[in-house]
Amino acid sequence: MIELQHLSKRYGSKLAVDDISATIRPGMVTGFLGPNGAGKSTTMRMIVGLDHPTSGSATVNGRRYQNSAAPLHEVGALLEAKAVHTGRSAQNHLLALAATHGIPKKRVHEVIEMTGLGSVARKRVGGFSLGMGQRLGIAAALLGDPHTLILDEPVNGLDPEGVLWVRRLTRQLADEGRTVFLSSHLMSEMAQTADHVIVLGRGKIIADAPMTDIIAASTGNLVHVRTPQTADLARLLTAPDVSVTSRENGLLEVSGIDARQIGESAASHGIVLHELTPVNASLEDAYLQLTNDAVEYRTEEVR
Amino acid sequence: MTTATATPAPRSLDSIRLSFPGLIRSEWIKLRSLRSTVWCYVLIILATAGFSVLMALSANFGGDDLPQAAQNSMVAQYLTVGGNFTGLIAAVLGVLVISGEYTTGMIRTTYTAAPGRLSAYTAKALVLTVVTFIVGLISVVAALAASIPVFALNGVSPDLSNPDVLIALIGSAGYLALIALLSFSFGAILRNSAGGIATAVGMLFVLPVGINIVYSFTGATWAANIATILPGSVGAALYQYNGEGTEAAPAVGFNADGILVLDQAWMLIIFAAWIVLGLVAGAILTKRRDA
Repeated sequence: MIELQHLSKRYGSKLAVDDISATIRPGMVTGFLGPNGAGKSTTMRMIVGLDHPTSGSATVNGRRYQNSAAPLHEVGALLEAKAVHTGRSAQNHLLALAATHGIPKKRVHEVIEMTGLGSVARKRVGGFSLGMGQRLGIAAALLGDPHTLILDEPVNGLDPEGVLWVRRLTRQLADEGRTVFLSSHLMSEMAQTADHVIVLGRGKIIADAPMTDIIAASTGNLVHVRTPQTADLARLLTAPDVSVTSRENGLLEVSGIDARQIGESAASHGIVLHELTPVNASLEDAYLQLTNDAVEYRTEEVR
Repeated sequence: MTTATATPAPRSLDSIRLSFPGLIRSEWIKLRSLRSTVWCYVLIILATAGFSVLMALSANFGGDDLPQAAQNSMVAQYLTVGGNFTGLIAAVLGVLVISGEYTTGMIRTTYTAAPGRLSAYTAKALVLTVVTFIVGLISVVAALAASIPVFALNGVSPDLSNPDVLIALIGSAGYLALIALLSFSFGAILRNSAGGIATAVGMLFVLPVGINIVYSFTGATWAANIATILPGSVGAALYQYNGEGTEAAPAVGFNADGILVLDQAWMLIIFAAWIVLGLVAGAILTKRRDA
């Protein structure tokens, strides 16, 4: 379990993380979602003590990570693709890391096999592809058999097979009762991996909810209705929690009422419908909507 | 924190602990698993041996006519003069051991495994110093083995059981180790290879000479006095030969011309002060900065 209490981090005049509080629970995969520059990595770095919080605190299983007697057994962290000396082989990197905690060599070979690094383990890391570096980072995170995993953009640079492997691995680790906290800027990736989502934008938490809620909220029930009698239908559907908007002539966008009810009302009042389409707003849309005001680096619209 | 559905972790890993001996082992693996480190050490041994042979070849005067004390002094000084060059290698190595971790991002792995940081910092400094000292000793042995036959051709044969000779030779290994340690502190402070190497080489080898040039042109005594206390100048006290036939220690203090004069003990004290200052500054910054 990871607990963030009023955590803030200021770099010069920029508030990278702005007073966030959250609890990341064991036994499930918690996604940490947000656009680039939202403060995800900074938050993760503060949890493992690499960055000092400006104020507030982050604890892992009730205490600061720095006070753990076996940090690698407490938290396995993949923070950047290559936090590895480029001149050293993958195997020596892991052996050096294992030595700090007296982790047996057998375990080093285990994680090398587990992450599919067997054939390149003796090669220098400098020549690794992004995907290989990512696998080595995951191997290092798993080395101490940690209760908590913190993975910053773990699927970055992985091939489709690797992405699938990370998805299964995080699921399995969570099912074993561990705390799994992983970040991504891709909603679609999160939708397939996470049970719970914390959305961060400009250093603030925008949403902290189970994935099912986020999906339910985002798919809403927007319905496209095409009818020659738009005015009649709009009047008919008027109710406190129903909104009807007209984008173009003959087309209504209705929300707050589902397609079946619209169809039945229209039929009972003799209104002709040319189209009746439930629109599933994609998760991606929902995410963009959530973070729309909270994007740090926005691309200018192409004219 | 107990978890409801946890499958038991591999039993062997439940008892793992972060420990200082573990950090020492880790730093030893790191040191020997980089080609650059290994090459630096090989170069130190080859350079020390090679230099000693060159010097021995030049010792073609006096020979049997020289008193034993002079022969001892000659060998001790000829074998340690290469320290000016090998010290440069040790300095570069000392900086790289820590700055290389910052430039590659490895430092984040190091400090995630040992989040207290200072234990890892200490282990790294200790391993570097001890290994460099041992390599220094090996260099001295290699230099003796390579040069004694050459000295013998010129009729010079030192008395290796003479403690003054041994102290100077072992001191040259200590000089390498402490130069590496001081340079390590520069690397830890600057966290950058180019800056660290420039500072270390500047402080140790360039500035003492450069400032003396200033002095020779301007006669500014303050310049000469600064050069005297720079680590590169005072560090040489470590391999100073004090055997029979060397001059008596000078009077410590400012002489009539206002020039600072130090004896060996004061040089060692000032050298130690540089190292303590560097290491403490490095430790404070290591603890306080974001990694």
